[in-house]
Amino acid sequence: MSKIDVASPVTGTVWKIEKQEGDTVSEGDVIMILESMKMEIPVESPKSGTLISVLVQESISIDEDQILCVVE
Amino acid sequence: MGAHEKIEPGQPSELTDTQTTLSELKFRRNESKKMGGAQAIARQHSAGRLTVRERIEKISDAGSFQEVGTLAGTGVYDPKNQLVSVTPAPYVAGIAKINGRSVAIGGEDFTVRGGTTFGSSRRKGGQGGFIEDLSHFYRIPLVNLIDGAGGSVTSLKRRGHSVFPGVHGFERSVQLMGEVPVASAVLGTAAGGPAGRAILSHFSVMIKETSQIFAAGPPVVKRSLGQTIDKNSLGGAKIAVDTGGTIHNSASTEEEAFDQIKRFLSFMPNNVWELPPVCPSNDPVNRMDEALATIVPEKRTQAYNMHRLVKMVCDLDSTFEIQPTYGKSVVTMLARLGGYPVGIIANNPMVYGGAMDVHSARKQIHFMELCDTFHIPIVFFVDVPGFMVGLKAEQEGTLREGMRAVFVAGQLQVPTLTLVIRKCYGMAGMATCNKNDIDLKLAWPSAEWGSLPVEGGVAAAYKKEIDAAPDPIAKEREIEAELKPYASPFRTAEAFAVEEIIDPRETRPLLCQFIELAQHRLKANLGQRARYGVQP
Repeated sequence: MSKIDVASPVTGTVWKIEKQEGDTVSEGDVIMILESMKMEIPVESPKSGTLISVLVQESISIDEDQILCVVE
Repeated sequence: MGAHEKIEPGQPSELTDTQTTLSELKFRRNESKKMGGAQAIARQHSAGRLTVRERIEKISDAGSFQEVGTLAGTGVYDPKNQLVSVTPAPYVAGIAKINGRSVAIGGEDFTVRGGTTFGSSRRKGGQGGFIEDLSHFYRIPLVNLIDGAGGSVTSLKRRGHSVFPGVHGFERSVQLMGEVPVASAVLGTAAGGPAGRAILSHFSVMIKETSQIFAAGPPVVKRSLGQTIDKNSLGGAKIAVDTGGTIHNSASTEEEAFDQIKRFLSFMPNNVWELPPVCPSNDPVNRMDEALATIVPEKRTQAYNMHRLVKMVCDLDSTFEIQPTYGKSVVTMLARLGGYPVGIIANNPMVYGGAMDVHSARKQIHFMELCDTFHIPIVFFVDVPGFMVGLKAEQEGTLREGMRAVFVAGQLQVPTLTLVIRKCYGMAGMATCNKNDIDLKLAWPSAEWGSLPVEGGVAAAYKKEIDAAPDPIAKEREIEAELKPYASPFRTAEAFAVEEIIDPRETRPLLCQFIELAQHRLKANLGQRARYGVQP
């Protein structure tokens, strides 16, 4: 099973984390929602599998390309 | 050609003159196929790279490659002046077919002398090379498989003098940019001439991890700036593609890069005097996707997936994205509608709300000129709040680059369609229309537009009333609520200031209809594009 690092498309903040480590996710499921430029930006799972790690917490600032979570 | 007794080089012959010369031809051809020799080829492979002959074979239709200049190289002769061996020229060139269409194709042979230029009467490849003449005089696309580092100081001793830069210049390369599609793959470490050659293309791609491109490599950087940096960190795909936008796309393997070039070419005509090819699709023109009705969230601050939206509208599996990792607040894709090629320019609400920054402006400008040059109508899927704001944006000169996008949009000769999905504000919004043309604007009911949004606009225009009110925030909300209904897109439609508002599910059939209509005009406007005025 391959691991995919899910990177942030923008610089902004983590607004809501919708899934927990260990959750099963389907492709397209929203794992977390970021906030940037007054927009709510959903971070979707790139594939079906398990969310094996969440590397950020709500309210923290994140940079473009920063790895937010890992799906296997 | 019948079988001939093999002539051993250096041996006197008892065969006829014809047999001797045909044998020599066969011998010389074999020498050419050896490239730089087995060891050099093994080194190329162990670096994760293919040889130039393997590359040409992989990208071309089977057996279609017709080489020109097979015998160019440096002969080695014995004391009796008999041929011993030939070191081939460090470039392989010719014509081939890609998906049934002829192209001029060539690439540096890195196994010979690192692909650097060598003294010859005429160059096969690179800028000013025969391969460019082939493309120009036959009006066919050019594919450059770049794997060379350009000029070398060893030429100094060989020539006996130094020459002005541009002894083989970019004149033909520049000319080709207005004549035929040019696609380049950076397959090794490119600096100097080959780097310039890669950039003077309509589409360029490089390989993650194994290729790099820079103005000068680590040794020169160390010498000039005292900076120590490895070649990947200086000019790998992360820098050249994602950050600098120097090269358009990246690929994980050489084969993937070739697929991208083939995909790009499938949307292009042979030259600017012809229409691009139509590829009829099984996807019905009247397909109406239910999901389009709800893809834009009710809540205006919620982003949605513009890539998905565009793909629901275009012919299935017809999209090819250019510069997906650079200037991400805009999406530029070649696609098809009803089989006809179109250029899609779609703002991306997931990235800075779709605001136009210096990178997305630059990306949009290149894509508009590409479509305009090759007679590909443009459809704007609009959701742009304006230019990017803030200190970094101003330092980068966002405003100037944005106005350049407005300038280029206004000069377009191809038909354009503007479809407003959600926001269309300000000068960035102007870059999504060509008001010198029919200015046909369509919109979804979720659309909103103006010089600036009501929120924020009220705070500025009604500052006095708001500050004077007992509850300023409530006052601001009150004025916003009063103005909001006037901002409804339906009011604009009443005034025919937007030409049509449509049900989102109607998008595909409607766009297909207009793109089919555009073909009459495209046929009437073939040829080269002139460009006027100084870009701001």
